[in-house]
Amino acid sequence: MAVVPTTAVLNRASALVIEFRNVGKTYKSLLGNSVKAVEEFSLQVVEGEILGIAGPNGAGKTTIIAMMLGYLRPTKGTVEINGLPARTYIERNGIGYLSELIAINPKWRADTALVRYATLAGISDAEIPSRVNEVIEKLGLAEHRDKKVKALSKGNLQRLGLAQALLRDDQIVVLDEPTHGLDPVWTQRFRGIVEEMRRADRTILIASHNLDELQRLADRVAIIDHGRLQRVVSTGYEQNAPTATRFRVTLAGGFDQIRESFPLAESAGKGEYDVTVRSIQELNTALADLISRGALVASVVPERSVLEQQFREAVGESQ
Amino acid sequence: MNRGRLGKYSLWQFRDFVIERGIAILIIGFLWGYVLIAPFRAANGPRPMLNPSSPMWPLLITVASSIVSLSVLIAVNGIVSTDRKMGYYRFLFSKPVSVIAYYVQLYFVHMMGVVAAMLVLSGILRAIIPDFSIVNYLLYTVLIFVAMGGIGFFISVATRFDWVTLAAVWLGSRALRDLYGAKPGLPGKLVQVLPPVHRLNDLSNSLITNGSAHTNDVIWLLSYGALFFVLGLVLLRQGSLAD
Repeated sequence: MAVVPTTAVLNRASALVIEFRNVGKTYKSLLGNSVKAVEEFSLQVVEGEILGIAGPNGAGKTTIIAMMLGYLRPTKGTVEINGLPARTYIERNGIGYLSELIAINPKWRADTALVRYATLAGISDAEIPSRVNEVIEKLGLAEHRDKKVKALSKGNLQRLGLAQALLRDDQIVVLDEPTHGLDPVWTQRFRGIVEEMRRADRTILIASHNLDELQRLADRVAIIDHGRLQRVVSTGYEQNAPTATRFRVTLAGGFDQIRESFPLAESAGKGEYDVTVRSIQELNTALADLISRGALVASVVPERSVLEQQFREAVGESQ
Repeated sequence: MNRGRLGKYSLWQFRDFVIERGIAILIIGFLWGYVLIAPFRAANGPRPMLNPSSPMWPLLITVASSIVSLSVLIAVNGIVSTDRKMGYYRFLFSKPVSVIAYYVQLYFVHMMGVVAAMLVLSGILRAIIPDFSIVNYLLYTVLIFVAMGGIGFFISVATRFDWVTLAAVWLGSRALRDLYGAKPGLPGKLVQVLPPVHRLNDLSNSLITNGSAHTNDVIWLLSYGALFFVLGLVLLRQGSLAD
């Protein structure tokens, strides 16, 4: 696991696509009270990257995305996409966007809503039927296509929102709480859809409360709290993890060997043991030793994902 | 990447106008007209001899012009603020379209919608009252749409309670101008910056009846509406959709 500098890019060979430069947003009431929603936020996102944005409720995730889309004007700083002011870029090129709140006119039919968005997206009349059918099939909306938007369940509405974001082959895709309201089957399928979308020239931003989802999908995750970027975490394991990590080791046999390899292992019952290591290398060395002693290792699971651990450190255990 | 096909999308905007506002405008206009015309027809036969010299002609013009004002109020109500209040802007403007171009187009689509509705209503009226000019009525409709619609557009950008605000501005301006317009001193000068609604009575009478109007009145009303429409666009450009 690695905490990378907040302004660092994942891969310097990749082109910079999105840049937040010292962005701040302060809301002022008519009575003169002010609330700082985002402060001194700087971040670079490169081509081909999937960047996660994580943070507790009210941390500023949605405000940051609204500023990236040009729906909110930053009080200070700038947001640029491919070197252009964000709104200018979007008006010229468009982006695939799924908002946290799926706001589609409830009187529209599901399929005609997609036709409307496809028209606005610049898809030709000849191409619209096939594109609309494609996203409807992909998101399992075929049996709901004739329904009014107001008749759709929360999960189906979420899928319709995702469908309109996938209509075009956009270079930039922004998904705000994409699995909110989805059942476990569609949450799983959503991950597949995002993996399919991953491509060297496409940049994807995913804001989510679901750390497990971000751990699986994102290359890096920006952790935000109180409107500030706390840290940017690379989600992959590294050979020499800088901090101690706990794993739960489940054995199917050779239980008495565990403390030979992991002297401080704590039994959690039913053949499960909690072990603490300082690096992945140390874990592997100890596991190899354990197996060579005749133990049968059934599973090794980190007590917390890399991201969860970083998240707790960044925003505090109370979150 | 292709730019958004905003021109093509105008057909969807017009469809929405017809379903959400146009039918309501036609029903209200028809009922209002019926309440006015039915007693005449009952007294004077199916084609009553109502012409500009009839004592009831000014009443007809008052009702006809009121229908236009009400239609414009319905047409511009929520023209921008509904998308902001309901959050529809999120998906609309993630597509490659200009926010400004989208709402300029929507404004003109709604203007066409109101003109089409007034064409239907004035066509019916013309069938009953041959002296009623459809062309003059449509000219008056366009003039009021620009004057009142421009202010309504600005209010819809600036606030989320636009129809109440527009009605208050329109009626309040009329009341304040009646009260203070002719008086000397500061109040008399201040009311001069309010919308020139006091000119509407004379204008509606002359324009709908004769197809003529004082150039100054027309310029004043058009300029006022156009100025606020442009101010609305500037506010839309400089402000935040999500605020």
